[in-house]
Amino acid sequence: MIRGSLLLSALLALLCSTACASKEQLSNAEIEGQWLYESHCAECHENPQPDLHKQPPNLHGLFFRKSLPSGAPGTEEQVRETIIEGRGTMPAFDRRLRGDDVKNLIKYMRKLK
Amino acid sequence: MRRRVIEGGEELKSEKRLSVAKIVAVIGLLLLLAVSVGCNRTKKYSLQGEVVSKNQEISEITVKHGDIPGFMPAMAMPYRVKDPGIVQELQPGDKIAAEVILGKDSSDYWLEDIRITDESGRGHVKASAAPRMLMPGKRVPDVALINQNGSTIHLSDFAGKALLVTFIYTRCPMPNFCPRLSSQFARIHNELKKDPEDYTKTHLLTISFDPKYDTPAVLLKYGLAYLDGDQSGFSHWDFASTNPGDLARVAQAFGLQYEEEDNQISHNMSIVLIAPDGTVTKFWSTDWTWTELTENMRKAAHPNAQRGGTR
Repeated sequence: MIRGSLLLSALLALLCSTACASKEQLSNAEIEGQWLYESHCAECHENPQPDLHKQPPNLHGLFFRKSLPSGAPGTEEQVRETIIEGRGTMPAFDRRLRGDDVKNLIKYMRKLK
Repeated sequence: MRRRVIEGGEELKSEKRLSVAKIVAVIGLLLLLAVSVGCNRTKKYSLQGEVVSKNQEISEITVKHGDIPGFMPAMAMPYRVKDPGIVQELQPGDKIAAEVILGKDSSDYWLEDIRITDESGRGHVKASAAPRMLMPGKRVPDVALINQNGSTIHLSDFAGKALLVTFIYTRCPMPNFCPRLSSQFARIHNELKKDPEDYTKTHLLTISFDPKYDTPAVLLKYGLAYLDGDQSGFSHWDFASTNPGDLARVAQAFGLQYEEEDNQISHNMSIVLIAPDGTVTKFWSTDWTWTELTENMRKAAHPNAQRGGTR
């Protein structure tokens, strides 16, 4: 029984660690990307948005899939284009994110599992 | 006797099982609590600013405030206040500190715990800082706009229809603002489409306050996303922009405030219902639902009809 309770505790601890941010070591560029993700993307892509016309997709594991949620090929170029120009009801981040911002953001998004 | 001992042993075992189960339950609850405390986003933000105006009737104050990290850039915008006594006490010019509380569905917010930090500025608010909106019943200015097809339209083109107008910019990244406005307008559009009588007697108009970026081509793409690709929907819902001069006129008339800085536009929300005779019926800013707007549109479109609901 004690073993059972330990197992349950371990499972819940695992749940906690996966639900919160990953503790994996990040490079400086990825830390910058994480900050950009938290400030520009997380609000819509990490939380349910029942008031929006379309639910923004979850971006975890984006680069581990064959295609993007839109069906477009899951390439870095396609993700960059979506960020800059927007897609569907997602706003364009043109002029707000540029150059290294997008690069660092994508580097961090690659870490999202 | 032997049986009683065994029964007693089982009783002990079951008591032990019960206490282990309790421990497991407590550990589980503690861990779940840790998850919720550690991972939930806070829904409370500190605000510091100056009262620009107040509307006691709807318990709302407009506050010019600095950056509210994670919630809102520096701007002047209206906030609901739950305690009408505080609204009575506050005066334009008062400097305040307060907490912005976000509602459960993140679509609603209001102020709590309002403290006046400095009341020496009372009565010294510049007239231009306070919105000078049209009062209900007043005729709206007939500005010219360019819609998503590049055609010129006028507000007067919609005479004879109930016209619901709002303001957005397509690059707005804040889900509670422009994306919410357009999403809720899409719901209104789809609801009105169900009844041809409602559909022909109503119109939706979304005006961009970012004409430099929101060209007709950009507005066409944006509109189609909310119309699910149905081009025919533009006959009932226009997406338009106008020149800076007319935009300023219409913004002032409709209580819209916007300010561009650092490639982002700080703005409030303004929705106005214009009656078929071209006069303002009602304004909304922070506290509205798409069903309420739809019902008000129907009533304005069919003023003599006996329909359910309350205004």
